[in-house]
Amino acid sequence: MSKVKPAALPPDTMIGGYRIIRKVAAGGFGVVYLALDSDGQQIAVKEYLPASLASRSPGELAPQVPAEKLSLYRLGLKSFFEEGRALAQISHPSVVSVMNFFRENETVYMVMNYLEGAALQDFIIIARDQKLPKVFRESTIRSLFDEILRGLRIVHQHKMLHLDIKPANIFITDDNKSVLIDFGAAREVLSKEGNFIRPMYTPGFAAPEMYRRDSSMGPWTDIYAIGACMYACMQGYPPNEAPQRLEKDRIATALTRLRGIYSDNLIEVVEWCMALDPLSRPQSVFALQKELSREGERRYTKLSVAEKVRLQFDTMVTDSKKSGKALASSVVKPK
Amino acid sequence: MKFSVFQVSRKGGRQLNEDRMGYSYTRSSGILLLADGMGGHPEGEVAAQLALQAMSALYQKQANPVIEDVTAFLTAAVLAAHRQIIKYAIEKGMLDTPRTTVVAALVQNGMVSWVHCGDSRLYLVRKGQLVVRTRDHSYLEQPPKGHTPTRLAEQANRNILFTCLGSPAKPQFDIAGPVALLQGDKLMLCSDGLWGTLSDDEIVHELGAGVVGDVVPAMVEMALERAGATSDNVTAIALEWETPDAFADTTHDEATEKLEDAGFISTMQSGGMDADDDELDDAAIERSIAEINEAIRRSAAKRR
Repeated sequence: MSKVKPAALPPDTMIGGYRIIRKVAAGGFGVVYLALDSDGQQIAVKEYLPASLASRSPGELAPQVPAEKLSLYRLGLKSFFEEGRALAQISHPSVVSVMNFFRENETVYMVMNYLEGAALQDFIIIARDQKLPKVFRESTIRSLFDEILRGLRIVHQHKMLHLDIKPANIFITDDNKSVLIDFGAAREVLSKEGNFIRPMYTPGFAAPEMYRRDSSMGPWTDIYAIGACMYACMQGYPPNEAPQRLEKDRIATALTRLRGIYSDNLIEVVEWCMALDPLSRPQSVFALQKELSREGERRYTKLSVAEKVRLQFDTMVTDSKKSGKALASSVVKPK
Repeated sequence: MKFSVFQVSRKGGRQLNEDRMGYSYTRSSGILLLADGMGGHPEGEVAAQLALQAMSALYQKQANPVIEDVTAFLTAAVLAAHRQIIKYAIEKGMLDTPRTTVVAALVQNGMVSWVHCGDSRLYLVRKGQLVVRTRDHSYLEQPPKGHTPTRLAEQANRNILFTCLGSPAKPQFDIAGPVALLQGDKLMLCSDGLWGTLSDDEIVHELGAGVVGDVVPAMVEMALERAGATSDNVTAIALEWETPDAFADTTHDEATEKLEDAGFISTMQSGGMDADDDELDDAAIERSIAEINEAIRRSAAKRR
């Protein structure tokens, strides 16, 4: 099969009564367009068009699906519906909302509210490039995740898991609201085996149980990802992947370096969320919210000289072990 | 079959949480499982995990989509769990075997049956009243004949079990049911971290006080707070039976009807209950789209 990506629909194409302005994103699942509705309001339209299963030549409307890929294509369609169903039930400012769902051009489209702004990931990259000790201010981190957790709580109340929370899927709008986006990956079914639906995962943000087939996922799985996102907001880069952590866990050491920069409480919360044992994490968003919103004076425990020396030693050891490979966590420079 | 489930496990003042829980269901049958790995022996959490895995594996094999012989299944499941633990201990050349309690409830055909071994309990509450709860396999709850425990002895003996899974002796267990479920019935499995701190009356009262998604976490929180820094781990999994009103003629299973005969879902992976109907034909696509748009309308209406 050709590696050519299916062509996006050109500007001014009318689909389902919406007029396409331009393509804004494309992923494995398909294409997202900025479009206008009949009232001239901006909306986002997500088109189901998995690049690995369907093709479309420029100028065509309907995608072509080879016969041997048809069943997978249909299976993927189900996960697209799953995302629609999930989002349709939820109405919360911190969760992207779906407004309409329709079928045209032999595929399906999901209409969502159009968000203007940038992903948290972009903000992290900008912030860390300034090379300040703090990537984000603590109060920023707290209020950002307070908003996201409110949304996530509703998601869990609907007995759904996001399963792909990461800075790229947390959107910060221009009017300063944070919104959880992309519920599609949660139900990625393209690697289906038997009756199991195996979710895809993003290294660094995926909890260890996401890598195991037999394990039980739950709210704690999303909570791990939240912890990893907070970690990324503090360090400026993602944490080590879970399998790597199971071998040698450097998260605690990495967090120790942040002592005195961020409050003890915040550091502890991140550590709690990122516990390798699912049962040692906050078991519900509520439990996490409670801890995160704990009022009172923030305590900052600075590193003692002895601890600093030990950390430095640790860095040296790490460096010599990893020479030539990725930089040790303490000296990562972006880009 | 329609129900809602809530599960929660919280670490108390212990170093490890050795409690494990989970559930699995097919289109017309479901099983809830809870195991509490025992302290005083090695790797209690492994024993608990193995027990759950063995039992749910057997369930997934035999539930097509219902279990034919419930008693035979529950017996086989407990023994399979026991054997798995012993096998693990032998393979690892352990001097002492890991041990665990277990309680499992099987729901199908509008009935519940259960099995338990040790002191993890099942509570069935109807309209705020206790219908039934399991009797622990402890010297307190099932004293040897002719023995009346004194108050002090009761305290001391609460944790002493005379059977469990994983011990060299063959486990003793009790199978009970089937009990027909009525709408609104609540079924809860819990570890001794919960019932050791809250009285039966409190548990029954709390369970009757609201939906499982609210009352179960509240109860667990209450137990943890009351027990303080030395609290045991507290784990509970509860189900609320939501079968449609008996007077309505729709007795079909609303929530699980879309599961294929062979399909099953294990432990709250998502709300995506329609795991499998591979025939996603045009009609099914249209239906899905209509459903989603209906849900959007409902949510939009709520917003106003």
